[in-house]
Amino acid sequence: MLWLLLLLAAAPPTKVIHMTAERFTFIPSQVKVKAGTVVEFRIHSEDTNHGFRIPAAGINEVIPKRGKGELKVVFHADRPGRYEFECSKPCGAGHNMMRGVLIVEE
Amino acid sequence: MLTMVNMRWSLGYCIILASILTGEAGAAGDDRERRIEELERRVQQLEQQIQQLLGTKPGTKPEDKPGGKSEAYPTEAERTPEMRLPVSGYMDFHFNKPRGEPGQLDFHRFVLLFGHSFSDRIKFWSELEVEHAFVEGREEKGELELEQAYLDFLVKPYFNLRGGMLLAPVGLINERHEPPSFHGVERPFVDTVILPSTWFDTGVGVFGDLGRGLVYKAYLMSPLDATGFSAAEGLREGRQKGFQSSWQNPAQTGRLEYHGIPRLALGASFWRGSTGFRFRGVNPRVKVFEIDGRYRLGRFDFRGEYAQVAISKAGELNLALQRETGVSPNVAERLRGFYFEPAVRVLPRRFNRDLALFARYENFDTQNRMPRGFLPLKQFDRSAWVVGATYYPEPDVAVKFDYTFLRNASSVVKAVNSLNFGIGWWF
Ligand SMILES: [Cu+2]
Repeated sequence: MLWLLLLLAAAPPTKVIHMTAERFTFIPSQVKVKAGTVVEFRIHSEDTNHGFRIPAAGINEVIPKRGKGELKVVFHADRPGRYEFECSKPCGAGHNMMRGVLIVEE
Repeated sequence: MLTMVNMRWSLGYCIILASILTGEAGAAGDDRERRIEELERRVQQLEQQIQQLLGTKPGTKPEDKPGGKSEAYPTEAERTPEMRLPVSGYMDFHFNKPRGEPGQLDFHRFVLLFGHSFSDRIKFWSELEVEHAFVEGREEKGELELEQAYLDFLVKPYFNLRGGMLLAPVGLINERHEPPSFHGVERPFVDTVILPSTWFDTGVGVFGDLGRGLVYKAYLMSPLDATGFSAAEGLREGRQKGFQSSWQNPAQTGRLEYHGIPRLALGASFWRGSTGFRFRGVNPRVKVFEIDGRYRLGRFDFRGEYAQVAISKAGELNLALQRETGVSPNVAERLRGFYFEPAVRVLPRRFNRDLALFARYENFDTQNRMPRGFLPLKQFDRSAWVVGATYYPEPDVAVKFDYTFLRNASSVVKAVNSLNFGIGWWF
């Protein structure tokens, strides 16, 4: 019984972030969460394939094209810090600008 | 997966709790901190062992689920090795049939884009374009253009540096000109004769994301060359295109975009600079101002743009050019244009393809206000209805059709309507 309570109490909170990828922005491009949160990104594109890469977490995934579904990425925001993310699939003139940051607060 | 994650967390917590309960972290002060650190390290070790048992490592995704779901944990920031990005490109193939004239097939654009990531902080991007599929020494047949070739130094999200061959950050189309990203076979007239897309030249500048949906760019770029200005196409032939561009007086340009409200994108841009470096005594200044917006509402897409160009000393410029060439180009003091375009996607969402119907009203006048002593050429006070459809067999492939009703204010020169068909794709 105690085990069960402990298990329940220790389950980290989950936060779902809905994100739109579009030449050449992630909307929103800044996301803030508390340390210990499990962040679930759900990203859909309004045009072509984009990439979603968080170098500090070894994440690098493809966001499907418009109408082809969404990308789900779970990020365990254990440690406070700034985790920059970027588009990793060339998508046009502003590709290098297509970036954002996940801020994990204490 | 979630239960596995919970278990891992829970195990970690339980170990800490158990340790605390058994008094391992019972000492005070520094000693306590040291012990907590030690415990953290041990929890991490245990976590790693559990993950190894489950066949994963921290920082990697334990499992790919259908729908592209992946999981990851922050790790010590790794240095990413130098990386060549895959080649991208787009193509634009047109059939234009002006009324009363024979139709023309044109492989309008063949563009290859190359990128290279030297590191997470230094990135290269380039765009090489063959226009009209054929390149000769002279421009009449086709053009080979290096439209972009720049290096980005990424410093902070809100402050980054850029240098090389840049696209002027002006207007809706100049930086977003991949064929599937706009309706109509040809680019809007306003983005051709008021804003001279594709507008590119050498430059340096800064750019970044200020948060709350605000994105900016500010560059110094090679100036326009006033000897190329004309009555029909405004600034268009004044682009130096990086050809030993004069850098005596670099132009200032910038753009601010707002993406803070879902489905809405707003933009404003400007350009200002001297353009008379080839003359003695006449130095017209050009000021460009532009605003644009895009909005999505269910199956509807709306976009609009307003652009205005002011050219100072246009009269003196006309006289100076007349002395040189014998003909006055009749350059105006002010050029103005705008358009509005509603579009609707008509196929149900469950279809794999999409069909959009659109209608664009454009009004564009390259002789909007004339300098003293010059009369406007009324045939360049124009408006157009571009009505058509874009079929997307795939989101990156656009099969386009439109009919363009062109009007002008002249009672002598007749505007010619045209039927246009095009295929454009991006990869
Ligand atoms: Cu992208």
